[in-house]
Amino acid sequence: MRKITIPILLMLVACTPRIPATFDSVDSVPVIFPDYTDVTIPGNIAPTNFLIEEGADSYITVLESKSAQAVIKGDKVKIPTRKWRKLTAAPEISIRVYGRNNKVWTAYQPFKLTVSDEIDPYVSYRIIPVAVESYEKLSIRQRNLTNYDEKVIFANTMVETNEEGTCINCHHYRNGETDNMMFHVRHFKGGTVLVLDGKLNKVNTKTDSTISAGSYPSWHPTHDYIAFASDRIHQSVHALSHDKLEVLDDNSDIILYDIRNNIVSPIENDTSQFECFPDWASDGKSLFYVSATYQAPSGIPRRDAVFLDRFKFHYNLYSKPFDPDTHTWGASRLLYDAVASDSSVTWPKASPDGRWLLCCISSHGVFPLDQIESELIIFDLKDFSYRYADELNSPFAESFHCWSSNGKWLMFSTRREDGVHTRLYFSHIDENGHFSKPFALPQRDPEFNREFLNAFNIGEFMKEPVKITPWQFASFISSTEATPSRYDSKREK
Amino acid sequence: MGKIRTCAHALTVIFMNVSTNNKKDKLAGQLFRALPYILAAVLWILLITCGQYYLRKVEDLSVFMFDWMYFREAIAIPGGFLGVAGSFFTQFLHLPWLGSLMWIFILLCVYQLTVRAFCIPRSLMSLAIIPAVLLIIGNMSLGYGVFIMREQDHFFAPALGYLASLVPLFSIRRIKTVWGKLLLLLAWTAAGYPLLGVFALTGTLTAACSVLTDSDSLRNEKITTVAVAVTLILLIPLVEYNFFTSYRLADSWRLGLPTASEEVWNRSIRTPLQLALLFMPVMALLSHRLKEGRRDRLIQATVFALSAISVWGFWFKDSNFRTELAMSLAVDRSDWQEVVDIFRKESDSHVKSDEKAYKARSAKLEGVKDRNERRIITDRFSNRFFEPTRTMVLYRDLALLKMNRALDEAFTMKDGGRPQKSRTQIPMALQSGKQLYTQYGLVNMSYRWCMEDIIEHNWSYSTLKYMAMHSVIMHETSFAQRYLNKLKKTIFYRRWAIEQEPLAHDSLKMSSAEPYRNILPYMCFDDRMTNDMVKSETFLMRHYNEEEPPHATPEYDRAALFWAMRIQNIPLFWNRLYLYVRSNQVEKLPRSVEEAAFLYHNLDKSGFDLPYTKEVQDSYDAFNRFVKTNPVVELKESAYPYSRKFGKSFYYFYYFIRNIQTY
Repeated sequence: MRKITIPILLMLVACTPRIPATFDSVDSVPVIFPDYTDVTIPGNIAPTNFLIEEGADSYITVLESKSAQAVIKGDKVKIPTRKWRKLTAAPEISIRVYGRNNKVWTAYQPFKLTVSDEIDPYVSYRIIPVAVESYEKLSIRQRNLTNYDEKVIFANTMVETNEEGTCINCHHYRNGETDNMMFHVRHFKGGTVLVLDGKLNKVNTKTDSTISAGSYPSWHPTHDYIAFASDRIHQSVHALSHDKLEVLDDNSDIILYDIRNNIVSPIENDTSQFECFPDWASDGKSLFYVSATYQAPSGIPRRDAVFLDRFKFHYNLYSKPFDPDTHTWGASRLLYDAVASDSSVTWPKASPDGRWLLCCISSHGVFPLDQIESELIIFDLKDFSYRYADELNSPFAESFHCWSSNGKWLMFSTRREDGVHTRLYFSHIDENGHFSKPFALPQRDPEFNREFLNAFNIGEFMKEPVKITPWQFASFISSTEATPSRYDSKREK
Repeated sequence: MGKIRTCAHALTVIFMNVSTNNKKDKLAGQLFRALPYILAAVLWILLITCGQYYLRKVEDLSVFMFDWMYFREAIAIPGGFLGVAGSFFTQFLHLPWLGSLMWIFILLCVYQLTVRAFCIPRSLMSLAIIPAVLLIIGNMSLGYGVFIMREQDHFFAPALGYLASLVPLFSIRRIKTVWGKLLLLLAWTAAGYPLLGVFALTGTLTAACSVLTDSDSLRNEKITTVAVAVTLILLIPLVEYNFFTSYRLADSWRLGLPTASEEVWNRSIRTPLQLALLFMPVMALLSHRLKEGRRDRLIQATVFALSAISVWGFWFKDSNFRTELAMSLAVDRSDWQEVVDIFRKESDSHVKSDEKAYKARSAKLEGVKDRNERRIITDRFSNRFFEPTRTMVLYRDLALLKMNRALDEAFTMKDGGRPQKSRTQIPMALQSGKQLYTQYGLVNMSYRWCMEDIIEHNWSYSTLKYMAMHSVIMHETSFAQRYLNKLKKTIFYRRWAIEQEPLAHDSLKMSSAEPYRNILPYMCFDDRMTNDMVKSETFLMRHYNEEEPPHATPEYDRAALFWAMRIQNIPLFWNRLYLYVRSNQVEKLPRSVEEAAFLYHNLDKSGFDLPYTKEVQDSYDAFNRFVKTNPVVELKESAYPYSRKFGKSFYYFYYFIRNIQTY
């Protein structure tokens, strides 16, 4: 036994990289990808593996916290999960990188990871090519944030045929719980797939009195309602711009879907107003939404008109009181006058603690994802003061954000890495509404974000994984026709 | 000479089926055994002469990279591994002589292993070329279908799949016990299906069929083996479906076969391959009955002859398609003179046949007075005259514009709009959109078509290159680097990617490097919202019709004038002519422009009364005189005689190149 143990121990010692004893120092932290320098991370997140890009011949990285130490060799710093768990048990991890060039070691300034509140263990997102009209290779996937496991929730290709393709979008969960969830299937066998208490349903929320089936859902936190936008979306290509696409509605309203009774009723349907992006306040007693005023000129097709007049689309932010028990709506109230500031506010998302409302802001239009200038703006719902979330914003588009269930973390889409491919970033918010430096969704291979040629789209936090399998979804979608919803205009607006 | 005489004699012996003596028999047998190799050599010569552009296009539309993420995504579907292997070999079609040599070698392996696997008697070995012939037909009959294939692994993957599916057949013969055989089938099907898809299932079926005809096996063994094989073929895909999320359950028994993005193409693409697959179990059932017989030579000769005829018969030989491919590759190289030369060569090669067709048509039309009948005869003959496709014309015009010769030469060349000889019309946007849009500076529209192509048909070297080029032009450094990194993981595009890297980081360097130097001058227009509605030529017309950039470059104004002449819009022509003259500092108008100006001025007395040259005035007078003596009743009928005399004038273009279908 001893004969075996000693050589093994010797081998282990030989394999463990040694921290350089002598070295020169430089004043800067090393350049790493993704940039995890001085970020705040959740205690339960997967190891934040990174790539060192200092051009040295070899590297030694030392990760230290009060509870553990890890020494890793090489430019790809892949942190073993067990070591990582020990490291993150302490409130702070210090990371120091040593690079060797011409047999001389250089120590870079250490940077730290601050370990903070836990985050929801799962997120889901769409994986989508940065496309225009085609949508065949599209899937909704769930990722375990505590490790790197990623599974498909549902993929277009599971029901698609050449002529009768489907498009899936708008996945959404009631309070992050997957027993009640939904997503849309467009075109072939289309409808809204609703999982209600773990059971599959498919409904068609398009009625003769609504513009389209529901989109951009927001599930009521306490009652069986989903607020939707009902809009007709078009997209067009920029002839010469870093923005490749422009997405606009040529008509939109917001509607309420009563799940148990399968009834659609209007919330706002003013023909001169383009209402969109409904989002319930955390108590469910008011609904945030955005709306732009637009009157299409006569004589040209409406679709062409909206693109010609695209700079006229300024979406204001509103809230509308709602009594879920009596199903009664109050009068809308303007929260942010985007028209006055020549801007457009979209995608309002209220924090679960009811304190903050985060939106996208850009010069015009309704679809921030494709606008390079789109930034995040935060409203304090106590006094409706607001500020640009500069800690989060980059020169490229920030969009589609989501709050964790404890309200401590924000996940948002950003194109900061190359201007085109959307990636998911996270940031911690403190009680004063200040965000920590955002960091990228950790990947097993730190080069993943550079190599992966698809985009992450619309991240949603989940408290648990989706239990229905992709094959159950596929079989259900292929074999079930959507139940038409009834429209009831008389319901209290 | 002596050898030829011997061969001729041997052929006489073979075809007459006259067995004179043993020596001659032996000679004939040797010739038959050599024939597959002779045919393979002929095929190779055909591929590198007639098929070289097609092979290059197949490679251009495929992708293989030494990249873990690429591999992982590719194998996420049963049969995906076969696709990766197919793509690996497809990359060598970059050098058509090498890639085709590899392909032929694999086809010869198919032939040889078929002989051995099914124990085909020597005197009937020609039967073993049937699968190889079907594999050749599957690829060489594709034509325009190449643009809508989901994966471009169809050249090698089916042949490799065929070879792989012979493995269980060889293996099962070595196993004596029934349990061993069943275990082999289970292991092969379970492990083979995720890698090879339907080819693994075919292997299982073939192996089971061979047991059925095995004289050493007991009846119960045979029944059990076949029953288990059928169950495995049905069950394994059903079970393994639960490990993949990339396809429909109904497609489980087709995975591994080439797929097109349009359903209408699938049958024609797959039929020869399905027949090749069917050959295996059928042969496994029948091969034991193949015995040497008196008529073997006749059978052999018939099979060889039919094979040669079918390959040539199904070979897609459309000369316009071939020219389009050749021009397309030259456009990718920015070899503009080559683009024009290819077009001219193709056009010139039809002079005699056009003349012949005209004479034959005139003979038919002689004495026919009825207009309808004349039209029918004209239509019947129309395919015998050379007419370029729109893609050919647009490539040529682009090349001439890049060389600043379009206004002199474009309207002196053949024009028209021959529809693609294709099952369905492949949109120009898909076929050549990314090239045309990029070269005209419409990089976002090109980007859009790259993306559509990626989603519909997967990544390719071509899309990666164009995506990288767009990002380099737009100074999107990180974006460009992403694609260049991918191309650096390939064998044949690595160097190109390394050359582009400094350009991606230095816009000054980029602006003076090819091809960017020749693209940037076209990008002087302002941003606006656009949509080509899948009609590239119409979109280009609209672009130059509607855009009037305040700081237009001379190149842009030249293109704008050119498109105004193409559109045959007289007010637009005068406007663009003014801008062109102003920005290009023209002293003497190009001949076609002067002809257009003189024609339009005479037609509606609009525009400028320029000091027209005597040659132009004379040619216009000559045209008018000809019209008086040869009145045009039907455009189509009169086009050829007019083109013989005035085909190089703008007048001919204006009056005869009309109602062209763009796509």
